[in-house]
Amino acid sequence: MSYVAVKGGIDAIRASRSLYRKMLAGGFFGDEAPHPTQLLAIDRIMSEGALYSQQLARQAIDEAGGDLLEAAFYLRAHRSTCRRAGVADPIETGDIRCMRRISATFKDIVGGQVLGPSSDYLVKLFSREQPDGEYCPPGSAQTPVQRLPSALGELRKQGMIMVPEVYEESPFDITRYSPQSPYPRSALMQMMARGETGAMLAFAYTSMRGYGDVHPTIGDLRLGMAEVTCTHPFTGNRVRVGEIRVTAVETVGAFKKDPADGKLRLATGFGFCFGFNETKAIAMSILDLALTYPGYSIGESGPAASSEMIMHHIDGVESMGFTNHFKLPHYVTFQADLQTYARAKKHHD
Amino acid sequence: MTEIRFAILDEDAKKEIRRALLKAVSLPGYIVPFASREMPVARGWGTGGMQITLSIIVEEDVLKVIDQGCDGSVNAVNIRDFIVAATGVETSAHTDEASLIQTRHRIPERPLTEEQILVFQVPYPEVLTTVEPDTGRQKQIHAHREYSRLWVLLYEDTAQFGESRISNRYPVEVNGHFVMDPSPIPRYDIPRLDNNPALLLFGAGREKRIYAIPPYTRVKPLVFEDRPFLVESFPGQCCERCGANNVFLDEVHGEDGVHYFCSDTDYCDNHQKRTDHAA
Repeated sequence: MSYVAVKGGIDAIRASRSLYRKMLAGGFFGDEAPHPTQLLAIDRIMSEGALYSQQLARQAIDEAGGDLLEAAFYLRAHRSTCRRAGVADPIETGDIRCMRRISATFKDIVGGQVLGPSSDYLVKLFSREQPDGEYCPPGSAQTPVQRLPSALGELRKQGMIMVPEVYEESPFDITRYSPQSPYPRSALMQMMARGETGAMLAFAYTSMRGYGDVHPTIGDLRLGMAEVTCTHPFTGNRVRVGEIRVTAVETVGAFKKDPADGKLRLATGFGFCFGFNETKAIAMSILDLALTYPGYSIGESGPAASSEMIMHHIDGVESMGFTNHFKLPHYVTFQADLQTYARAKKHHD
Repeated sequence: MTEIRFAILDEDAKKEIRRALLKAVSLPGYIVPFASREMPVARGWGTGGMQITLSIIVEEDVLKVIDQGCDGSVNAVNIRDFIVAATGVETSAHTDEASLIQTRHRIPERPLTEEQILVFQVPYPEVLTTVEPDTGRQKQIHAHREYSRLWVLLYEDTAQFGESRISNRYPVEVNGHFVMDPSPIPRYDIPRLDNNPALLLFGAGREKRIYAIPPYTRVKPLVFEDRPFLVESFPGQCCERCGANNVFLDEVHGEDGVHYFCSDTDYCDNHQKRTDHAA
């Protein structure tokens, strides 16, 4: 699975393609596996719907006829009927059992470049042929999952990476309190973790190609299984709730003076979401970079660096709901419009 | 799936919304943020009003839901069906029978009483949005009651068009203090907010805001001293169905020309009955 240089990774690439097809054929994630060809749709709406349930997600896709905005909305609506049971313990990204972990910052990293199941190396042509078959390169690990340190760990150890100052005792919860400007980073992160993939992609894209100055390098992108634990409300014991598919990414931006000690350090952005959704996680890390370190960028005033812009415009349920509400009757307001129009016309013309 | 609880929302959510409502009533026209929940109807379709209704509704309530003044409008029907399914309360199309009325874009023609609560569905809770989109600066403007940019907006329109182009959602000053967005009701309904005996509650689900006008509160549209506040009028027209000529009318374009009917369907029914009796 691992490969030392980007060249010579033919074996790894063949194995990755084979693994990807295997993942979409089902049985990859145990008994709970949903309809395998809907896997990434399910992952996307669990993240946008802010509810990790593969069964309900699949049901939502059926109810919505495959409309994923609508399907995410089913999950959100269901959330409103559920009372909160408790708060899970933080997930340490280093504890994720990685199925895929790559870095664009260094050719060789501790634990190696693990391609895992990915569509990146597929030729996107309709084909029933599967040239790689059940390809397993010689000497590769039997189990595709393993714990790996962050590829940026070494830089961090050397004090080269900026650590943003944390002003919050506990993370903000936008589902219990309506966030007020100026927004704590945790509120923005939560909004983005629930954000609509396409909307986040578009905003992140603006900062990459003209309305910002973020030149991200993907430091560590990982897809894998994360264990969820919490403290039992009655017994007080730490209990394991289960394991979820997640995507986590750290991107590296520009360097600047660290306000803490005046030394030059690199800024990083973080992206994280339920399920396997690399595009969303990467977009989130870029937005985090633009929002958290706006001074690092000449595009400080670009839309991606505006917390007002991101906080209020990336939620799919909100933007879809409001857009579609224009189908509702507006007889009264339009009648009123026509009357002011008529009066203005008389005055003006 | 578990059984649906009374009024669907979990009790913590209801408690939070009631607290926001209490704060809103205590500070007339002040916008109170709340953690809006998703409802089974999409945000932007009246979920703010719905969450208020579901948080304050009790078994004894008689519910009326209108959209554009009409009980039979699709949005009103959807919301009423859902609230009834979630609570089992009685409903009525008659304004005088209802204890709780949820509305979109209108205030019922029949004067409300102290026993009634009117819940507005709100798309844009913040009156300053058109002149200042940044929510942080909006708060500062309200804190200082520095509404000059709104006045400039009104002035620019007046200079060009003789009056403001704002036809609905006309800015109002509440209790001589905060300036507030009254939801997209036509200008015709603006004077009817003033000194209203009913409790008026405003909910914006997508924007996660709640505000209120308590009973018998002074509500004035923002207008220049030397300019009249013009409301929609229908000179020479009356409702073809009931004959009313002093209400807000829907303009209906048919093949045979333009027709006018009451926007408030309950008012129209009652007025027709009274006219029939008299005849």
